[in-house]
Amino acid sequence: MRATIVCIKKEMTEQVRSGRLVILGMVFVLFGIMNPAVAKLTPWLLTAMADTMAETGMTVTVSDPTALDSWAQFYKNIPMALIVFVLVEGAIFTREYTSGTMILSLTKGLKRYKVVVSKALILILLWTACFILCFGITYAYNEYYWDNSVAGSLAFSAFCWWLFGIFVIGLLVLFSAVLRSGMAVLGACGAVVFAMSLANMAKKITEVLPIYLTEGQALICGRVEKGSFTAAIAISIAISFICMAAAVLVFNRKQL
Amino acid sequence: MILHIDGLYKSFGDKEVLKGLCMDVPEKSVFGFIGKNGAGKTTTMKTVLGLIRPDKGEIRVNGEKVTYGNTATNRYIGYLPDVPEFYPFMTAREYLTFCGEVTGMEKKAMESRTDELLELVGLKDEKHRIKGFSRGMKQRLGIAQALFGRPKLLICDEPTSALDPVGRREVLDILSAVREQTTVVFSTHILSDVEKICTDVAFIENGVISISGKLSDIKKRYRNDKYILETETPEGICAVLKAFPSAKESGGNMLTFSEKDESVKEIMLFLVENDISIVKLEKAEPTLETLFLEVTGK
Repeated sequence: MRATIVCIKKEMTEQVRSGRLVILGMVFVLFGIMNPAVAKLTPWLLTAMADTMAETGMTVTVSDPTALDSWAQFYKNIPMALIVFVLVEGAIFTREYTSGTMILSLTKGLKRYKVVVSKALILILLWTACFILCFGITYAYNEYYWDNSVAGSLAFSAFCWWLFGIFVIGLLVLFSAVLRSGMAVLGACGAVVFAMSLANMAKKITEVLPIYLTEGQALICGRVEKGSFTAAIAISIAISFICMAAAVLVFNRKQL
Repeated sequence: MILHIDGLYKSFGDKEVLKGLCMDVPEKSVFGFIGKNGAGKTTTMKTVLGLIRPDKGEIRVNGEKVTYGNTATNRYIGYLPDVPEFYPFMTAREYLTFCGEVTGMEKKAMESRTDELLELVGLKDEKHRIKGFSRGMKQRLGIAQALFGRPKLLICDEPTSALDPVGRREVLDILSAVREQTTVVFSTHILSDVEKICTDVAFIENGVISISGKLSDIKKRYRNDKYILETETPEGICAVLKAFPSAKESGGNMLTFSEKDESVKEIMLFLVENDISIVKLEKAEPTLETLFLEVTGK
């Protein structure tokens, strides 16, 4: 246990000193501010352009923005934020393979599974903190400008999206244990998500795919029921666990 | 024996690197593991550390069997890779503290050990982060981290190869200083380093050990009865050659002869009688270099 905590501490120090924490913080804060800002500014921009548009024969009707517009932005932007997260953290294992820094700790008797556990935990922790930051900022602005109560199942939809992030982290950890290069890990994660979006077109299996968790927008508008997420949630949690467990097994036998 | 390797085989693809390597490292020795680049030194060491899975063979460290992956025998071993890499965002002190914490050492013991080792490797006053360290500094920190858990066996993979003469001297001094505390195995292709500090050696060639044993024994075993004579002028050599036809000219006013063919006394007498001035007359000691070349068949 102590060694795991030491490793987590070391990972955290690295996040801080390498500047990755600052980058993530800035990106997620930026997205958090952008969501309400875009919702607020779009009508204003449209009004400003209305005259020119009118000359070309187009009439623009501007409706007042609501919290829903801001949340729509949130669910449009959060995939970008997740991509940035994966890009920034994708080499958390492979960086140590190429530099050989891990060999020294392992030859001191550090159990291999502790490396996997500490890295997975730090990823989960970072994703959770970043997600809450982004969500919290958007929530606060929305509450200030409009009224969040128009959005239904807000907390639940956010949980679903957060869980999707955990699922992606599960993939990241597993592929990091299997593969050697950071690019390969990113490619493999991307490929799985892409394959899921393709499979998503088959309407029959939509609700069991982890990617269904990203339908937060539909959820807050009331287009889909909360209950329809049960399968996707269960499957995502299961896959995340399986990925992490498999990562430990693979990593135990990995040649470094 | 602190390290015992028996019949070790390993191939990478169709390249057979180790072909039944056997080696014994006695306790409290400084063991030179000598071989050309690509002879299998690093592979052998990494297998001992459980980082490479052997195809066949057994390794015992302090009597315990080494298994691939999580091997418990690593608690006896301190390892210094050829190019040690540390977390660049830490300072030397922080890194050693991290090593101590990972091995679950008491805080007090850890702090005193860190001080002791930083002093030993001369990094006590170094406050910068590791990313700014020179190779020599990294190598010295590498020794410090390898020694941290007071290992019974210190394995160093080519610790001096990448260093300048000053850095090499420093590393060799540290290694010979720690021989009181631990057994040192280090691989190298720099023979003068071996001659400076090793008590035992093993030559690896073609995936097997071709010679191994105490350095002094090996030198004795390969010592021959050859003498080298160098005169000041070429005429001197000619005169000696004429009088002692079994001697062989070896270029540059030098000749070699064997004691069983010619008596050294007679040659000395001949030199005095004919007033031939010489540069040197010496017994040809086998150097590791000649041994190495002999072993590698060059």
